[in-house]
Amino acid sequence: MAVSTIYSTQALNSTHFLTSSPSSSSKQVFFYRRQTNRRFNTIITCAAQQTVVIGLAADSGCGKSTFMRRLTSVFGGAAEPPKGGNPDSNTLISDMTTVICLDDYHSLDRTGRKEKGVTALDPRANDFDLMYEQVKALKSGIAVEKPIYNHVTGLLDAPELIQPPKILVIEGLHPMFDERVRELLDFSIYLDISNEVKFAWKIQRDMAERGHSLESIKASIEARKPDFDAFIDPQKQYADAVIEVLPTQLIPDDNEGKVLRVRLIMKEGVKYFSPVYLFDEGSTISWIPCGRKLTCSYPGIKFNYQPDSYFDNEVSVVEMDGQFDRLDELIYVESHLSNLSTKFYGEVTQQMLKHADFPGSNNGTGLFQTIVGLKIRDLYEQLIANKANAPTEAAKA
Amino acid sequence: MSATASHGGVMMLPSPSRPLQHQRPPTVTGSDMFRVRRKEPRGLRLVVAATAKYKGTKMREEKLSEMIEEKVKEATEVCEADVRSEECKVAWDEVEEVSQARADLRIKLKFLNQDPLESFCQENPETDECRIYED
Repeated sequence: MAVSTIYSTQALNSTHFLTSSPSSSSKQVFFYRRQTNRRFNTIITCAAQQTVVIGLAADSGCGKSTFMRRLTSVFGGAAEPPKGGNPDSNTLISDMTTVICLDDYHSLDRTGRKEKGVTALDPRANDFDLMYEQVKALKSGIAVEKPIYNHVTGLLDAPELIQPPKILVIEGLHPMFDERVRELLDFSIYLDISNEVKFAWKIQRDMAERGHSLESIKASIEARKPDFDAFIDPQKQYADAVIEVLPTQLIPDDNEGKVLRVRLIMKEGVKYFSPVYLFDEGSTISWIPCGRKLTCSYPGIKFNYQPDSYFDNEVSVVEMDGQFDRLDELIYVESHLSNLSTKFYGEVTQQMLKHADFPGSNNGTGLFQTIVGLKIRDLYEQLIANKANAPTEAAKA
Repeated sequence: MSATASHGGVMMLPSPSRPLQHQRPPTVTGSDMFRVRRKEPRGLRLVVAATAKYKGTKMREEKLSEMIEEKVKEATEVCEADVRSEECKVAWDEVEEVSQARADLRIKLKFLNQDPLESFCQENPETDECRIYED
């Protein structure tokens, strides 16, 4: 969205000349007119399209398809790979959003990493300078030729052209690792999966593959853990929202990882982001919606809400343990949560149902991912409204 | 926004042009709420999902599965020597990478009905990769 006001001059003759400022995010045109002793300056400021940048951190590359789909669908439209390009592209494009996989910024391909003895989790395998330059360019409305890391071949393929979108999502292992990239993010999310749940999910993911066994899945998680703890995990202190996924507390000794306890940890004081709350902001609430008005099947649903401190930041935490079984449970819960940034009653429920087939659709992961999507929409709209109101400046000397 | 509101309050999964009938994976998604909605008849064409449409995609699927097997074997061997060595870490990281790539492809085909070769094959239907895979 470009906002600019054009002041027309009567005549542009040799006493007038134009220069434009080198700054890329705000293009300024200076008119100088020398007339006898007086000099007129008219500064016209055009705010070029400012792309809103969201960072999403999690393990396991860019397979957070479900989160991405929920996010992009809040804005409308399905996210699809770029048409006619490399079939192994990791990029997703919808009307409003473009999702970039940060694996594309690997400086070392699979062979290179093997030679150097570094995992993909290691910062040494990633080109943060390029990541910073390109995210900065896209944010300023400049298209970039972004490399493609091919997960099938393990090679770096020829780059693809990425046009600056309205909303840019960078997802991967290191969106918040580099400080310069962090500064570019308008909002950041960290998906924190506990070890037990990670194990259960990877079993579900891999057991059908003939190469895998319980031992191999376990060994893979263990071997990656040191690098993960050293390089990826610390990013969560920088996130504006953390979605923490833990085993349920409702079923004693449950180790199936099917029922989940999910915590949405929201940083206070983030611009354009108002945390979700239950009943009374800033208080501590424990809520079991199942009872006389609502019957739930085992193990039921339990909510918690409380202010807390997280890595020296003030946060608010909404927590859901259990599963949704029926539509009316979802609506009931939605009607009691506040600050959801929905545009109509039942929007959260509707969004959840749109992706009912995805994992997490009946528990806190789907719920909080959907809510975060709505929060991002809200943030985006506020940011855009703010820029539209930014006055075009005209200064006369 | 308008895309969701246009469903007019009827909670329906927007149906793609190729309806599919697929097996629910053994995860936490199963519930009556979601099953009820799916009784809607989706048209006469039934495509069994989780199988690739194009030969090239089928080949990719198989390649990834083979790679997983290979790399697990490799990692197990490498780590026998020293489970804390760099080589061991890297070997298991490769297993993870390929396992995730395999899972991503499965998700694309099964849930999203997006064959990665779709747009390429529309432009180049005569290539070998784009032969429709017959089961």
